[in-house]
Amino acid sequence: MFDFWKKKKSASVAKDRLSIAIMSDRGGRDIYPFMDELKQEIVDVVKKYIGVRGVEIKKEIDGDWEAISIDVFLDRNNV
Amino acid sequence: MGIVIAVISGKGGVGKTTAVANLGLGVAMNGKKCAVVDFDIGQRNLDMILGLENRVVYDMVQVMDGEATVKQAIIKSKVNENLHFLAASQSKDKSVLSSQKVYKLVKELKDTYDYVILDSPAGIESGFEHTIEFADAAIIVVNPEVSSIRDADRAIGILDSKSQKVKDGGEVAKYLIINRIVADMVQSGEMLKSEDILDILDIKLVGKVPEDNGVIDASNQGKPVILDKHSIAGQAYKRISARLCGKKVDMKDIEVSDSSLFKKIAGIFK
Repeated sequence: MFDFWKKKKSASVAKDRLSIAIMSDRGGRDIYPFMDELKQEIVDVVKKYIGVRGVEIKKEIDGDWEAISIDVFLDRNNV
Repeated sequence: MGIVIAVISGKGGVGKTTAVANLGLGVAMNGKKCAVVDFDIGQRNLDMILGLENRVVYDMVQVMDGEATVKQAIIKSKVNENLHFLAASQSKDKSVLSSQKVYKLVKELKDTYDYVILDSPAGIESGFEHTIEFADAAIIVVNPEVSSIRDADRAIGILDSKSQKVKDGGEVAKYLIINRIVADMVQSGEMLKSEDILDILDIKLVGKVPEDNGVIDASNQGKPVILDKHSIAGQAYKRISARLCGKKVDMKDIEVSDSSLFKKIAGIFK
């Protein structure tokens, strides 16, 4: 009887999990159509000061938050 | 000129073929001329559900290839003269379909019938794409369960990008059927509510179908469950068919079960 109140109902767990899964399924490249441009601009800015080998952008979703991490790979030979 | 409706699901086994058989018959019972076509090449099943498996002579691939005419291949339902059926090919595989051939067949049927209902194969491969390609509308069948809903969303995504209507700048009408609802489980919070599913998928609802043992019983006999007056799933398909024919039928709330109330009352006397 008391478990009834403690436990989160599985239907609402399903809703949360589905919402996130579907959001990321739909996402891919479509959410950020500007991604390629963003990459190029970052390369251009960093290049002004230091050599750049490449840029990698990763998206991560966990629960309610979403993060974009940007890795800029420097070119040591071209400092 | 009729309307072409593709019935899709993404995931298999959610009741797509059952829906096609019952909606086809339901529409026919509303006095509309209806053709149902099985696009599930290699896994023909609509013939069994309709109880017409012994009458198949020519299939839709043979029609597409010009080996038979639509007239020769079409099979008339035993229970309603408005319902005609075109079987899938059992021996060939999905690769035999081409856009051109599908277009020609669909166009010919559309010119003859008020409603043309296409039973899509499960999955999101070429067979599915050909089914939705020339459809005016799509009915998406889901179960209130995570994998079915997720797969349906993928199928809807492909529908929105690959349909000819969308390519021409239009829009395909999309309607959802939630199948196999267990009212008691929805009430106890163990099954997704239909509003939640609509929220997630963001499409219009055309009907809810309750879980019903009568569906298996009906398929055993090859008599669509809509013919069974006592079946709750059959009644649901009747309501949906009427809606498809433009009638205004209130959405019956099958998620609030009488039975759960009865059980509680019965429990008092135990």
